[in-house]
Amino acid sequence: MTETKPISNTSDSSKNKSVEKLDSGSSNTTTSSSSPNTDNDKPKLTNKELKELKKQEKLAKRAAKKENAGIVSQITPQQIEQNKNKKNQQSQSQSSLQQQHSIVKKIEKKNSLFSHLETKEHRNELSISQSQIINQIHPSIISLTLKISSYSIVGSIPRCKAMLETFIKVINDYKTPQGTTLTRNLTNYLSIQIDYLKTSRPLSVSMGNAIRWLKQQISIISIDLNDKDAKDELISQIKDFIKEKIEYSGKVIIESTSNHISNGSKILTFGNSQVLKEIFLHNHLVLHKKFQVIIVDSNPLFEGKQLAKELSSNGLNIKYVLINSLSTIFQDSIDFVFLGAHSMLSNGFLYSRVGSALIAMKAKNRNVPVLVCCESIKFSDKVQLDSVTLNELSDSNLLINNGQKRQNISLDKFVQNHEIKPIQSTKDKKEKDDSSKVEDLSNWRNNQYLNIVNVMYDLTPPDFIEKIITEVGALPPSSVPVILREYKSST
Amino acid sequence: MSSSQTKDINFQIDSFVEKLKRRQINGSYHVALETCQLLMKVVSVAKWNHIDQLIQHIRQLGLRLEKAQPREFSCGNVIRRVLAIIRDEAFENEGNNNELNAPMISSMFSLLSTNDKKSNIQPLINSNTKSNKYHDLKSIIIQSIRDLIDEISSIDEGIEGMSADLIHDNEILLTPTPDSQTVLKFLLKARQKRKFTVLVTENYPNGVEKAHEFIKELSKAKIDTVLIPDSHVFAVMSRVGKVIVGARSVFANGGTVSTAGVASVCECAKEYKTPVFSVAGLYKLSPTYPFDIENLVEIGNSGKVIKFSESQLVHNTGLTNPLFDYISPENIDIYITNIGGFAPSFIYRIVLDNYKTEDVDLS
Repeated sequence: MTETKPISNTSDSSKNKSVEKLDSGSSNTTTSSSSPNTDNDKPKLTNKELKELKKQEKLAKRAAKKENAGIVSQITPQQIEQNKNKKNQQSQSQSSLQQQHSIVKKIEKKNSLFSHLETKEHRNELSISQSQIINQIHPSIISLTLKISSYSIVGSIPRCKAMLETFIKVINDYKTPQGTTLTRNLTNYLSIQIDYLKTSRPLSVSMGNAIRWLKQQISIISIDLNDKDAKDELISQIKDFIKEKIEYSGKVIIESTSNHISNGSKILTFGNSQVLKEIFLHNHLVLHKKFQVIIVDSNPLFEGKQLAKELSSNGLNIKYVLINSLSTIFQDSIDFVFLGAHSMLSNGFLYSRVGSALIAMKAKNRNVPVLVCCESIKFSDKVQLDSVTLNELSDSNLLINNGQKRQNISLDKFVQNHEIKPIQSTKDKKEKDDSSKVEDLSNWRNNQYLNIVNVMYDLTPPDFIEKIITEVGALPPSSVPVILREYKSST
Repeated sequence: MSSSQTKDINFQIDSFVEKLKRRQINGSYHVALETCQLLMKVVSVAKWNHIDQLIQHIRQLGLRLEKAQPREFSCGNVIRRVLAIIRDEAFENEGNNNELNAPMISSMFSLLSTNDKKSNIQPLINSNTKSNKYHDLKSIIIQSIRDLIDEISSIDEGIEGMSADLIHDNEILLTPTPDSQTVLKFLLKARQKRKFTVLVTENYPNGVEKAHEFIKELSKAKIDTVLIPDSHVFAVMSRVGKVIVGARSVFANGGTVSTAGVASVCECAKEYKTPVFSVAGLYKLSPTYPFDIENLVEIGNSGKVIKFSESQLVHNTGLTNPLFDYISPENIDIYITNIGGFAPSFIYRIVLDNYKTEDVDLS
């Protein structure tokens, strides 16, 4: 634990400040010495802000005390065990993470296009520095964090939904500490959870919007309400939010998009969008239309494979291609290109899975209309001009260890277990050849001149997009800011 | 003696055709070189009374080779180059005697007249030619084929020479063809004078190993190398200064066939107004026009798209794995060949210089 402190000190981001403060509160060190420090750091703070800071500190201190004394006893023994396990894992992985940390420093020497973006290693580092407050993190948040960071929950809507459902659990288990009110303390408590959640992957726009909404709801709960009623109200509000903004809006989008699919149409899509999958299934199973879906997919995530599996198991006519065969695919007459979205930016750009822009461009050049299906919860008031400045880095090693090689390893294990000797020897040889190839690249981090980049998203310019279908209607990309205004006023 | 020689040469031709059919010769460079060597042997063994017989013989051989691998154009290109050489030499040889017999077409009306007379006369004259002349011609042709081999094997040097002129310091380049040796040599040569960054697409699923080899070579030469998946092209294109493409073959209209995925990259570059230059040896220039684009693209093993072990998915979905892409001339800015850089619109002229129009169609 003491070893981790220097790391958190060296990586002094503004986010960490609040964390450090909380640390000092929980370890009961002299808080009086820490507050003048922050005063010296930021002399420009106004009195009001200072007051707020102090208030927050107090709250945190109290919360921490509560954690240590009261709340822990409330948690079931199973959860404690879970926590312990998590801690053990964390401490075990700390040494390896510290190794990674040294690697991070090495990489930082490289000048790369994306060197300004936060890497997974950086995020891991953050989670180390936060491991001290892990006893404040709700177990369900921890499990969600793991699920998101291992990409077992992907897509901005599934992530958002999972987060809100977890928040229901968190709020259910929440007890307001003495001396404060739920309105004031819950927001704070949630912020800690969210900070931890951020160590898995950066929040999606939909998650950000949902969090903003939730915090607003918490803040307008009347102080006179007792804890239980307030919690019930919040939970029912969250449930309504999920229904209204995610489930029903999905249904509305499905209804209005179905007009574009007719018998015999050919539709091209990219990756795996939740709402698109439902559109295709609805049109096939309910409306009984006969149409072909061309799924374009790309290394390294292969999300389209999942879509292809689900659609083909339902009997749809599927064509599955990789992104480098786009030109060949577009020689056929394609009626529509349907794209999913991570977010719509207020300057009309579509921020979506990397590769979408390439497909939209090809479609535009061939006069194939590009439709984007997107819930209004994904609309963001940010503006961005290119994909390089703001993006999410994914694991570069995914490009080296292709699925094929992973499979080979498991195959090898299988063969070893069954001890079929003649086959084993040949398999071993192959494996060795493969692994020697892999090893050549696996130490790419040590090679100053070699870099492997794997980002998650790219930006599609508005001129490639014909229309955006949302639950509030279909609109051109230029109308995104209009929706944003309406949406904001409605919540 | 002569029959055993022809047997031997027939055997060599057969084995070469088999190799082509089985795709055992990798890369158009090797195909071109081996075709050249084969042609040299064929010419050295061949016997003819009139040069037309030799030409006919080689045309037939060319037809066979083209059928063996219809989408490997360098083979046909080399044969047409050799045919052009033979025709030139023969013309020069005969030109001394028959200048009067083959008058320049000076009038439009003579275009319509048939050339039957001429072809009837020619053999008569040729049968009179002396045997030493025939031997002269043979050795001259063999010598020119040898020159052609030299040209092909030293093609990279010609292209490399221009590398420093095309790249400036700290430039970011993108190459979607890590399987091209010409691109590799071009970049390595440029590194001697310039410092730059190269983005390399992965070329999944057909060229991953080659891409890994490629980036290893580049990083060894202290070139900043970044490997990106194919889907990232649009995302990074705004930062790219130039796109460098290796060609598989270049057509007379300035279009080119290259690895799958390259067409998208070039289109994307066009969108960003990023210059695209293609490096290609002269032997990749084909005198044909790409009328049927779909036919230029070879389809590869679809098991690379989805593993056959995922039988459920393979069973129910249509899969395709094209190996090549056709890139239209408007998406390429210049071609760098071993004899200089040319705009795509000028390629037809270079083609005319190197090939004879009567050989475009071998059948």
